[in-house]
Amino acid sequence: MDPVLVKLALAGVATLGCIGLFFGVGLAMAAQKFHVEPDPKVEEVLHTLAGAQ
Amino acid sequence: MLLVSVLLVGCENGHKFVKKTAFKDTDKMVLTFAGPVDESWASNVRNFSAYEEPDPDIVLTIKETTLSPDKTQVTLVFADPLNTGEAHIISATNILSEGQDLGAAVLTVKKLYIGVLMTIFIGAALINNFVFTKYLGLCVFFGTSQKRGTAVGMGVVFTIVMVFAAVMAWGLYQFVLKPYQLTFLNVVVFIGLVSLSVQGVDTILRKVNPMLFKAFGVYLVLVIANCIAIAVPLILADNEYSGWESFALALGAGLGFLIALFLMACVRERLELAQVPPSFRGLPIAFVTAGLFALAFLGFSGLSIY
Repeated sequence: MDPVLVKLALAGVATLGCIGLFFGVGLAMAAQKFHVEPDPKVEEVLHTLAGAQ
Repeated sequence: MLLVSVLLVGCENGHKFVKKTAFKDTDKMVLTFAGPVDESWASNVRNFSAYEEPDPDIVLTIKETTLSPDKTQVTLVFADPLNTGEAHIISATNILSEGQDLGAAVLTVKKLYIGVLMTIFIGAALINNFVFTKYLGLCVFFGTSQKRGTAVGMGVVFTIVMVFAAVMAWGLYQFVLKPYQLTFLNVVVFIGLVSLSVQGVDTILRKVNPMLFKAFGVYLVLVIANCIAIAVPLILADNEYSGWESFALALGAGLGFLIALFLMACVRERLELAQVPPSFRGLPIAFVTAGLFALAFLGFSGLSIY
């Protein structure tokens, strides 16, 4: 295969991987920082209700 | 303040004696000088030549020039309408002012940047309204336009997310995708960005403002399913918009969607009470209404701003 294309493909994988990793870590950190304790009552009520939808 | 002044101040000119250059109507340019210039110089068409910045080899024909009574403004009248979206370069031979030779000038004529932004904004919101003239985002449009409250909620959330996603898309496109020649991955990256901003707003809003989250939480997820959210980044990448232009486009798209939703919701609330033939009840009559709105929005296509 053309080495230019191979280089392009590898660069693409690397760049997208970096972007994904960066934003993934960012989201994870945000999720941790802005963590909200879910109310156990909500779960209980939802469980008791019929809730076909 | 600084930003505003940067936006308002147009272009610098290449000559000290020239105060201002501007487009007028569709086929004229006005050059304003700091003092009076000689009529013999100003009235000779051959003293000026003009071309569009990207095409220096295509010289535009100047039909005539006129000098204002106070001799400080020269109006160039062109044979053909000008493409005012592009910057134009005018070169003038040695400017004569009261017999004095002030040297040749190369001037740039372009629209004020704020005007360009306004054009993009109004264009996205009304003239090329994404719902009514491009028929994008119809699933969410019909899904959330039954009640006015829902419609406004959806529109506002969409605008916020859209602005975030578009500015990020601009940054990624200009500084990552383009330099590494990865523009063929645009669609993949932009879809990821939209989901990212939705998830980000979801996470942060849940903690920062639970009341708002309760009101907007349902619509947030729907933004991902909206095709306008992917159309805006693709358009700004196609047109090579700058950061501010991307911002204006996203804001326009969001507000246009909000307007569309609100108008539709108003009509559909009334349709609930109207006597609609049974076969038209529900979605069919909503589609007919949307078609009528689209016709009405065609009226904006003649709108020209700035």
